[in-house]
Amino acid sequence: MDYKNIYIIAIFYLLIFLSVTKTTYAQEKIKKTLKEKLETSLVVNSDISYEFKTKKNQKSEVILKPEFTYKFTRKSKLIFKGQIYSELQDNLETGTPDENTVSDFSKRLFIGDRTNLELRELYFYTRLRNGLKLSIGKQQIVWGETDGLKLLDIVNPQNFREFLLDDFEDSRIPLWSIKSEFDIQSIGVQLLWIPDKTYHITQDFNAPYFTKSLFKIPPSGVTQELHQADKPTKFFKDSDVGIKFTTFVDGWDISINYLYYYDDLPVFYSRLSQPNTNPTIVINPKYERQQMVGGTFNKVIGSFTFRGELVYVFGQNFISDDPNAHLNIEKSNVYKSALGIDYLKGEYLLSAQLFNEWLVEDITPYNKDTFETNVTFLISKEMLNDNLKAELLWVHSINHKDGYITPQISYWVTTNTQLFLNGNLFYGDDNQLFGQFKDRSRASFGFKWSL
Amino acid sequence: MKTILLIVMFAIFLNPFAGISQELMNGQLIAQKTNDRNEGVSLKRDLIMELKDKRGKTRVRKTVALRKYFGKEKRLVIFYKTPTSVKGTAFLTFDYPDATKDDDQWLYLPALRKTRRISAANRGDYFLGTDLTYEDIKLETKISNNDYNYKTMGREKIDGHDCYVIEAIPKDASIEKELGYSKAKFWIDSQIWMMRKSESWDTAGNFLKTVKVSDIKKVQNIWTIHHINVVNHKTKHQTTFKFENNDYDAALGDDYFTKEALVDGL
Repeated sequence: MDYKNIYIIAIFYLLIFLSVTKTTYAQEKIKKTLKEKLETSLVVNSDISYEFKTKKNQKSEVILKPEFTYKFTRKSKLIFKGQIYSELQDNLETGTPDENTVSDFSKRLFIGDRTNLELRELYFYTRLRNGLKLSIGKQQIVWGETDGLKLLDIVNPQNFREFLLDDFEDSRIPLWSIKSEFDIQSIGVQLLWIPDKTYHITQDFNAPYFTKSLFKIPPSGVTQELHQADKPTKFFKDSDVGIKFTTFVDGWDISINYLYYYDDLPVFYSRLSQPNTNPTIVINPKYERQQMVGGTFNKVIGSFTFRGELVYVFGQNFISDDPNAHLNIEKSNVYKSALGIDYLKGEYLLSAQLFNEWLVEDITPYNKDTFETNVTFLISKEMLNDNLKAELLWVHSINHKDGYITPQISYWVTTNTQLFLNGNLFYGDDNQLFGQFKDRSRASFGFKWSL
Repeated sequence: MKTILLIVMFAIFLNPFAGISQELMNGQLIAQKTNDRNEGVSLKRDLIMELKDKRGKTRVRKTVALRKYFGKEKRLVIFYKTPTSVKGTAFLTFDYPDATKDDDQWLYLPALRKTRRISAANRGDYFLGTDLTYEDIKLETKISNNDYNYKTMGREKIDGHDCYVIEAIPKDASIEKELGYSKAKFWIDSQIWMMRKSESWDTAGNFLKTVKVSDIKKVQNIWTIHHINVVNHKTKHQTTFKFENNDYDAALGDDYFTKEALVDGL
């Protein structure tokens, strides 16, 4: 993103903010003191992870999360969420990452190799008289209802610093965007406009959670040359836009979603080059447009909640195993679904999910079947009036027989202090999505303190 | 004349409760009266929950609770404000007038940024670590019209107020299992038809809970509860609910009572 675009974004947001603030102030003024208008909080989160294979600490992190909410009126507020992150061993994201996939407005500020400051969220929220709700600024927008794996939750990109182990709340990268919501009779409508061109943060080759299963290993004697990704630059033309309809009919919660977006992972176009007879695979990553239509549903029957997500992606690109594939890429529409069942009784929650992914076109993608199935199981129990919680999450790929298991126990020592102990145990083949991290299996201990 | 008097006295001697039963109101009618009392159309209030375990460890949770009638359908939403560890949690329930239709309930968990549907069949489960169940929270000290068979036991004074004492037995085994109570006793104020005390027994017949309601006073001409204390005799855990800043005139838009509003908060 060049500076011209930054100025456009800044002026654009400022104009909207000023006009909306003026309108809402005119609607309703409340005479309150600054103390009553301003809500502040701070969360301190620290944990240490021990890696079984290397018998070394995998991470020692301390995270400070200050949060401020300033209420202009009863119907409008400004929300700020910041983050100071320190990884004392500088292991997960070694050195100072260049953050090429992140827009200038969303980059973190690194202080040395171990600490960074991040503006997590900064948005203005207002409810106008006509029922229109607006959220303007840097924010997280979450679609979908699945646990453990994501299907519809693709509006915001993700930092894969810890693969899928980090809380989605922390790994999801907030984006500068405008969200508006209004009702047309009994149907809720949500419109999204996201000019922020920030994409997934994937890890370097030497990082613990580098996802090598996504890339083909070059033949012996062939080198690889990875070029800078070709990123979209046009402020309006390259924006993502989305729309969501929601309704509640006869006990059914239903949503229909559409997103016109850039895939958060670039397409790794590659070709064989032989300069001076040294064979080299030149990789030219490029972010490409996609469209997604999807929806969710859920219904309670007795003690069970049945829920599902359906997604159809138009024109997703895959690294191909077909030697004739143009630039080693093939394209296919993809159907994805997740069906879940939750049983909540007393202090117990039992949940199972079945994820399916079907490549509609007849292609030969690298390291992937045309029909893949994953399953997840979650068991949790709250004890001692929610002071103590034991939980077990199991994610398993039926096709590749790999997965991971996360047992966790947490205890609220006081209203504001929680201790937790958990494990992340990977298993399976080295070349598969989960199995590649089996040497990263770890145990973690930490605390969360809030004010 | 003497003979008639003797016959009446003999009849009373044979059935000593005949005179009392004429004075005591039918239990079902009492339950109905707790439901008929004026609650206003809408209500906004601060709800502070103090959770205290048997060792004396206390956790305090401050919330804002909104309630509104949409015709005969009641909607209740609770937004958690403090402590930070639960801030943003929100609970929404649609309570339908048709007793055969299950309520709909949602719980928003900010750490997951997800709204979970909660089965109304789990109405006997404890509400977010407190000693009241989801059903208790929904009823707001009213007595269910449909779940129990009632028997009026007598009259007693609670904090100087005359109360009917009614015994409630779940109508069938499935209701007993859902509610988690095999028996309950309610002390209902005979003047304002509000519950001042209750006791309940678990499905195994063990004495389970005592609920004491106090500081009932009029707000905007509507009788309003300000304090509830619940003691769980099995776990020795107790929860105190304090209701402050009750406002029946607050302008509560319909869109506060939606699943989407849980995410946005107040």
